[in-house]
Amino acid sequence: MSSHPSRKGSKSASPPSLTNRITGGANTLSRERSVRTNRKFDKFNDCLLKPDINMSDLRSFAWSGIPSELRPIVWPILLGYLPLNSTTRNQTLIRKRAEYAELVRLAFARGREGLEFAVWHQIEIDVPRTRPGVQLWMEAATQRSLERILYVWAIRHPASGYVQGINDLVTPFYQTFLSAYIVSDPEIFDPGLLSPEVLNAIEADTFWCLSRLLDGIQDNYINAQPGIHRSVKKMKDLVKKINAPLVKHLDEEGVEFMQFAFRWMNCLLMRELSVKNIIRMWDTYMVCRKDAFSEFHLYVCSAFLLTWKDELQAMDFQGIIMFLQSLPTANWTNHEIELLLSGAFVLHSTWHNAPGHLGGS
Amino acid sequence: MTEQSNYDYLFKIVLIGDSGVGKSNLLSRFTRNEFNNDSKSTIGVEFATRSINVDGKTVKAQIWDTAGQERYRAITAAYYRGAVGALLVYDIAKQATYASVTRWLKELRDHADSNIVITLVGNKSDLKHLRSVPTEEAKNFSTENGLSFIETSAMDASNVEAAFQNILTDIYRIVSNRALESSSEPAIQPSGGQTITVSPSVDAATGKSGCC
Repeated sequence: MSSHPSRKGSKSASPPSLTNRITGGANTLSRERSVRTNRKFDKFNDCLLKPDINMSDLRSFAWSGIPSELRPIVWPILLGYLPLNSTTRNQTLIRKRAEYAELVRLAFARGREGLEFAVWHQIEIDVPRTRPGVQLWMEAATQRSLERILYVWAIRHPASGYVQGINDLVTPFYQTFLSAYIVSDPEIFDPGLLSPEVLNAIEADTFWCLSRLLDGIQDNYINAQPGIHRSVKKMKDLVKKINAPLVKHLDEEGVEFMQFAFRWMNCLLMRELSVKNIIRMWDTYMVCRKDAFSEFHLYVCSAFLLTWKDELQAMDFQGIIMFLQSLPTANWTNHEIELLLSGAFVLHSTWHNAPGHLGGS
Repeated sequence: MTEQSNYDYLFKIVLIGDSGVGKSNLLSRFTRNEFNNDSKSTIGVEFATRSINVDGKTVKAQIWDTAGQERYRAITAAYYRGAVGALLVYDIAKQATYASVTRWLKELRDHADSNIVITLVGNKSDLKHLRSVPTEEAKNFSTENGLSFIETSAMDASNVEAAFQNILTDIYRIVSNRALESSSEPAIQPSGGQTITVSPSVDAATGKSGCC
């Protein structure tokens, strides 16, 4: 149980037991690193080693970013997939992974003919074009995992089913959980090299965490997508309060928020930012719990739009739409993401409970 | 960045059709001469533009590429408003995408201007060995339904230019004829610089056949 997968040396050929990375193994994670990183890491580690993790401690540490080695442990706890109590954590993990394996077995028990055609058809079209060009997502093993995750989720949520863009939301989870088992960069790894039980563990953890995330934003994907319409309207109202001239300019140019912000809500900015950026962003979102992916997200989107206010003011309709379709974020690091998050936090504190605030007429 | 009024006509065109038929690649081939075998799915709508020459006039196409999935119908239908042309795309190698064409035509009837010019586009004509929709069948269907018809390949670029050129020319002819007929009222009225209202007096569904 103490043989935690090493993050420094080469990975052992045999996969770690499915559970020791979460419990009991954390004390072996500490190793030489810079003093500053170490301090943050130790804080987290101490917090995680307690028999009963203090959620508010964990949240306050996670707000400013989670060390990547600990993210595969911290995300499931923040999302409520794993319990705070360490004694039940192992059992939960074993049970949930077995449960997922059973869901997969049932869903595919009758072969291709037994699948819900429309759902499967759309998933089949979208899987090969999920993060195209990134090796991990071009590997057959990853693509089969993604198909199973999406299909099982879709048939369990018939009101929405699979909606394009949900495939994007799988990728940060999958890459994060994969990173717990390998030393190399997940984006250039072939999960086909892992044992079936490790692959199932990654897939199951991804599935359950994705489910938790989507639970909070189901309205985004049901018929007519009312959640997105609501969020985009709120976003426009908010931006108008903060920077009326910008909204006036957009109105005058005939730019509607739906024309660009629809995708921002539907894919949680995954089309605008790198997966690395998104992973850092989700550290903070998960601290805010369920409504972060709807409520806090619209503040992030507002702050994101305001990042470009000067550029946008100088553009006409076509310039604005084209610019917002391919924003210059390719070089964004954690630094820009943290500025964005703190900007959003300020907006949220200022406006969220303000009288006559969003959602009013 | 801004490109002001250096055109004579501005036409809004929508690209519609089932998921995965190649709408986004037709657009990127036409506007940027790019093709991407595994491009990401379109979420909601995406926009691109290109100007071409018709009868010595600069015609600027403002093209809205829409997501194909059923779930996005509510959002994408909003973009039919003000569109003067539609490229209705199917995949010549996928019968089901051709079978959906009648449903897409209904979408247009329900949400678009009744005079919208429609071209049926059979894309992926490079996949000859996988063809499941005969050219004649689609051509006959188009004639019966007053649509133009063309087969294209965004991948090898064949007929992509023609597909856009033809529909823009058709629209231009309708609009400029009308402008001659009614002297005062402008046929197109870009409002807020961008929205186009066009109400051609002639029936747009003239059944002009494209090349194929």
